[in-house]
Amino acid sequence: MSAAVQVRQYILENFLFSTDTSLLGLDDSFLARGLIDSTGMLEVLLFLEESFGIKVADHEMVPDNLDSVNRIAAFIERKQG
Amino acid sequence: MAAGATSLVDLLRGSARRFPDRPALRQRGCGISYAELWRDVRRAANALRAGGLAPSGRVALLVENSPEYVIAYYAVLQAGGIVVSLNASMRGPELARGIAHCGASVLVAMPTHPALPALLASCGALRQVVMTPEVAPAREGTAGAVAWKEWLATADDTDVSGALDPQLPASIIYTSGTTGDPRGVTLSHRNLVANTQAILRYLELTELDRIVNVLPFYYSYGNSVLHTHLAAGGSLVLENSLTYPHLVVQAMSDERATGFSGVPSTFALLLQRVKFADYDLSTLRYLTQAGGAMAPTLTRQLRAALPRARLFVMYGQTEATARISYLPPERLDDKLGTVGIGIPGVAIEVHDPAGSAVAAGVEGEVCVRGNNVMLGYWDNPAATAKVLRDGWLCTGDIGRVDSEGYLSLVGRSSDMIKSGAHRVSPLEIEEAVLELAGVAECAAVGVADPILGEVIRVCIVPAEGASLEPRAVQAHCRDRLATYKVPKEVVFVATLPRTASGKIKRFMLKETG
Repeated sequence: MSAAVQVRQYILENFLFSTDTSLLGLDDSFLARGLIDSTGMLEVLLFLEESFGIKVADHEMVPDNLDSVNRIAAFIERKQG
Repeated sequence: MAAGATSLVDLLRGSARRFPDRPALRQRGCGISYAELWRDVRRAANALRAGGLAPSGRVALLVENSPEYVIAYYAVLQAGGIVVSLNASMRGPELARGIAHCGASVLVAMPTHPALPALLASCGALRQVVMTPEVAPAREGTAGAVAWKEWLATADDTDVSGALDPQLPASIIYTSGTTGDPRGVTLSHRNLVANTQAILRYLELTELDRIVNVLPFYYSYGNSVLHTHLAAGGSLVLENSLTYPHLVVQAMSDERATGFSGVPSTFALLLQRVKFADYDLSTLRYLTQAGGAMAPTLTRQLRAALPRARLFVMYGQTEATARISYLPPERLDDKLGTVGIGIPGVAIEVHDPAGSAVAAGVEGEVCVRGNNVMLGYWDNPAATAKVLRDGWLCTGDIGRVDSEGYLSLVGRSSDMIKSGAHRVSPLEIEEAVLELAGVAECAAVGVADPILGEVIRVCIVPAEGASLEPRAVQAHCRDRLATYKVPKEVVFVATLPRTASGKIKRFMLKETG
């Protein structure tokens, strides 16, 4: 399963409480859609660190890296690369 | 500060006269001076009058923290109306309920709010809708709506307001309520001015202060941060999200912030994710904490991380405008765990169930008297009568006062859930969950959480033969309720524990795991 698929599934199940992929576009902004608040972001970070074996540094916690499924997938790829 | 002020408008007018060129607000790198802010407030007030806003007419704001929110808020007051600040994180049904209950005739809204189309379709009493400018693309062709800039351009900037009657309602803030029992806290001009001036005094705010603000203005805490800084002639830098905590601290450093205000979960998040030592926060002279009790351990960690800033632990309630008490920083060590003494002009007593004051050290209900106490709940005399008794606001908080007048809170007499900055009525959650087919009974409670204080657990007794998935319950709530009200835990139980009189024993459900 690709990172994007896994991340989308995680966000859908834990923040939209659904498995319907039509509810979350790969480029949808979590901030703009009000999907993930500050404590939700901590849960996302924990998921990324546990599922993909990466460590997210404070300075990497920026919307460019984390504000959509595709951005997270690209970020994981860069970290694992 | 303007002497003899009878409204927040007088306080803003005074700051604009004294500091016309100083920055009032900054957001996304753009600033607005006091002269510009005051000019736009006058124009917006005149636009509201020209649009037919009646005296004490209600204007609802569905706008995140922004210069437009501030302009609209003060303009409504100046036009003699009542401003209704709606919680922008709420869903359509919750918002429609508030708009209908207060009878708002005007709505100022962000065009990007997802609930807006449904809201406009369901709120037939709205005569005018004003759309604020947004960075994101606005919804095209919203019928009957006027764009912010066009709206402002329809009016001149004459300052036509006379003195506002301080006893008239100025603001309605909807707190946790249900369909049948809405709680629109109604504050007068006097309430707002008195609380603003009292807070200003103990925080010693001046025009040199600059706060990075993350608190929503539609809550009483954020509301008080806004008014106090504008009354002092200080600056507010608007950061609307804590999702990326170190960006907020970076802004504090870049903007040379002198102040920062948060609820316990704000500070818990920052301490968990940010190394303060990596940032230049040498200008930070004060921190304020309210919105629920902060664990003494967290208070100590915060002081250790930011030793140069004076930390004001505070206590308040929307029904008391915002602020009731504060702990002077110089007493923080010997009075740690208390929420301090009454703010200037506010009396605090602890009452027994008969309504009599108890002796120092004895627990009872915390009651408050002063110019900060609300007029009542909008159009809900029964709910008002329960909390305003014999000239006192009965807070529902249980506490005790020591011999020096320092208040300690030990619990709540109500079942209200406190999660992060939010106060949630369990009845509202239960009302939504009971809409689901397959739910026979349910009860919502708050359970302890290290960051948020409490998170919501809903315990459900399924109907016979029904099969329910926890996620289906959460998805249903998410469609109807603001995100912070969606239960974090869904637990299925055979029965709800009840007292002999049939009341649910909620404390037992907190232990169900």
